[in-house]
Amino acid sequence: MTRKTREYSTAVIGLLLLVVGLYLAKNVEEPQGVMRALPFVCIGLGCGTFGYGVGDIISRRAVTEHPDIQKRIDVEKNDERNISISNRAKAKAFDVMIYVFGALMVSFALMGVDMVAVLLLVFSYLFVEGCAIRYRCKYDKEM
Amino acid sequence: MKNRLEELRRQRGIRQEDLAAALEVSRQTIGSLENGRYNPSILLAFKIARYFGMNVEDVFIYEEGK
Repeated sequence: MTRKTREYSTAVIGLLLLVVGLYLAKNVEEPQGVMRALPFVCIGLGCGTFGYGVGDIISRRAVTEHPDIQKRIDVEKNDERNISISNRAKAKAFDVMIYVFGALMVSFALMGVDMVAVLLLVFSYLFVEGCAIRYRCKYDKEM
Repeated sequence: MKNRLEELRRQRGIRQEDLAAALEVSRQTIGSLENGRYNPSILLAFKIARYFGMNVEDVFIYEEGK
């Protein structure tokens, strides 16, 4: 799939999701269960996907006419200092997230929040930690 | 690690923007290198040295214990 096709498909899928969401929100009377949230999830996802696709189309058109801008964008994107800054920021944010997740789990448990919600949070926390260990092992072998 | 980047660049009358363009890095990276705030990767260090036609150790000065 070419970049152009991907951009247009993203925009179209987004638009379709938006239309479906709006249709469901308007026409489903007294929704039950998942149908109560689904239209709004579709609207949210549709808006996001449509915006992302259109944004890509506009930016591609803008840089096609100005190759110097494209070159500057590529340099900024691949600049080793920018990559290093971005990776350090992500690492710091991950460290913070671990504490935030921990505090949130303890708070939820103390507040007597539904067990399913607490367990979901615990499993997401463990999943993220698992990913960190997995990539540590992977990079340990690679480097 | 210290470097002679600013000195070498000024000697040759090159602007930060032009050096950045030649090395395919951002101008901010050149500024940070010159101020000693950022140490380059070994690849960029070689690229810079090659650009000035020098050895890496002539551009970058390693200081023990710093």
